[in-house]
Amino acid sequence: MLVADPKPSLLERLFSEHRTALHAFFRRRIRSPVDASDLAQEVYVRMLRIKDQEAIRNPVPYLYTVANNLVKEHAVLDQRRASCIDIDDAPAQESLETLPAFDTEIDARQRAQRLDVVLNQLPPKCRAAVVLRYTHELSFREIGEHLSVSPQMARKYVVQGLAHCRRRMVRLG
Amino acid sequence: MNSNEEQIRAAIAEQASEWLLAHDEGPLKVRDCAALTAWLKSSPVHIEEFLGVAVLARDMRELGADPEFSVDRVVAHARSEAASAVRPLWPRVIAPVRDISSRRWVPAIASLAAVVLVSLGLFSLWNAGFFAPALAPGEAAERYQTRHGEQLSLRLTDNSVLHLNTDSAVSIRYGKTERVVTLLSGEADFEVTHDPGRVFRVLAGSAEVVAIGTKFDVRLQDASTVVTVVEGRVTVELSQGWGKPATQSNAKLTPLTLMLGANQQVSVSEGVWPATPAAVDAQHATAWLHRQIVFDQAPLERVAAEFSRYSPKPFEITTPALRTLQISGVFSTNDTDVFIAFLRSLKGVRVEVTATRIRVSQRSAAALPDYT
Repeated sequence: MLVADPKPSLLERLFSEHRTALHAFFRRRIRSPVDASDLAQEVYVRMLRIKDQEAIRNPVPYLYTVANNLVKEHAVLDQRRASCIDIDDAPAQESLETLPAFDTEIDARQRAQRLDVVLNQLPPKCRAAVVLRYTHELSFREIGEHLSVSPQMARKYVVQGLAHCRRRMVRLG
Repeated sequence: MNSNEEQIRAAIAEQASEWLLAHDEGPLKVRDCAALTAWLKSSPVHIEEFLGVAVLARDMRELGADPEFSVDRVVAHARSEAASAVRPLWPRVIAPVRDISSRRWVPAIASLAAVVLVSLGLFSLWNAGFFAPALAPGEAAERYQTRHGEQLSLRLTDNSVLHLNTDSAVSIRYGKTERVVTLLSGEADFEVTHDPGRVFRVLAGSAEVVAIGTKFDVRLQDASTVVTVVEGRVTVELSQGWGKPATQSNAKLTPLTLMLGANQQVSVSEGVWPATPAAVDAQHATAWLHRQIVFDQAPLERVAAEFSRYSPKPFEITTPALRTLQISGVFSTNDTDVFIAFLRSLKGVRVEVTATRIRVSQRSAAALPDYT
């Protein structure tokens, strides 16, 4: 990588485009615990390192794995650095299996409370659609029948509902 | 995070949700995997939002134990809102529509032919087409309307879905050989179930639209009717009026019949027909279904008119030069305040909210900054 290349690779181009953000990230890197945007930055850098010919077969498990490993790495770093270890943290992470607990700074109960708040801010049909989809694992057809809309509209409600919840969660901080 | 950045974030969160749903629906095709990888690789924000929605979806699985989120409770909640003609956007100004049918002047027996059910889910197995006589002008029709700021969704007996926007009215007549919806005012969006035996026809102003299993939007404006296709195909022609006999399933194509496909829009008005269809982003035209309005470099005059369709007070632009000010953005139809705040953030723009109007004017004698 250190050998000068007259033609900048895609990686380098992308890297230079995001240089400021990445520098900020590495400065913060020392800090703990892992915050969501830091983690995303680091996952991003790792994804960029993969050459295009080794195209990622299934990006989602890959993403989860990288994010999980990073959370673990950070946890190890934190334990080495910190004099006081949060004992609640490690078992919580074990049980997550596929998804990173990058929002470890707030506990599960608090997260559930916030979820409750943001869900109740959604338009009722959106709220029903996301709950039916994710809590009760109904199909879009079934959701559509419950809400008297087409399966396509049910799917739209889920997409919108999920995105709204996500942004409102962020705003709750 | 400023509102512009938040808007971009919200759009990315939506893309992330789309991807998560696509991933959950089954193995992604090789091409989709590549597209998702490319999308994730294009910005750390994409990764952050994807992980964010994924965590949210996971956390929602844990809600099952909470009775508040049982299937029955959430459905009942959604339906109780639907029953009151969809949540009024301005509850203090508008009461829910109570009398939405026009049965008073229709003979009781004829009203039996009316086949629309409010989206309460009171589903009828009764086949209207079986009993209903052939349609004749002025025949029994079910009528639905929304007031200013209201929206209403209806499921018809054939499973087609009709969404009614603010200040709109339709009458619906289902017969043996055709399904006819007349848009009397405002705007409606249709998701039509294909039925080769019964044409789905929409009459709106001077336009007549025939759908073949599709999704489209029809809006009545002062001098024209605007038809936008979201999915599938429709034919559009100048309306022949009420007395026209029902035609068979395949509409006869004449040189005056236009065929419209997805993301095409045509404005129909007498005297300027046939018109040329324009390519549009149909998602913009139907953003109202999600209580959004989307503008891409639209003049303030049009934006303000659009907002006035939903807001409790109409917008009024008092400085003519401001009428052509270009506006881009995604706004909520529920939230006039956000739009007012947005306008106030523009240099030289002044917004006064009076008892009856929202007045937009130029701040001072200073020259208007160049927004182009």
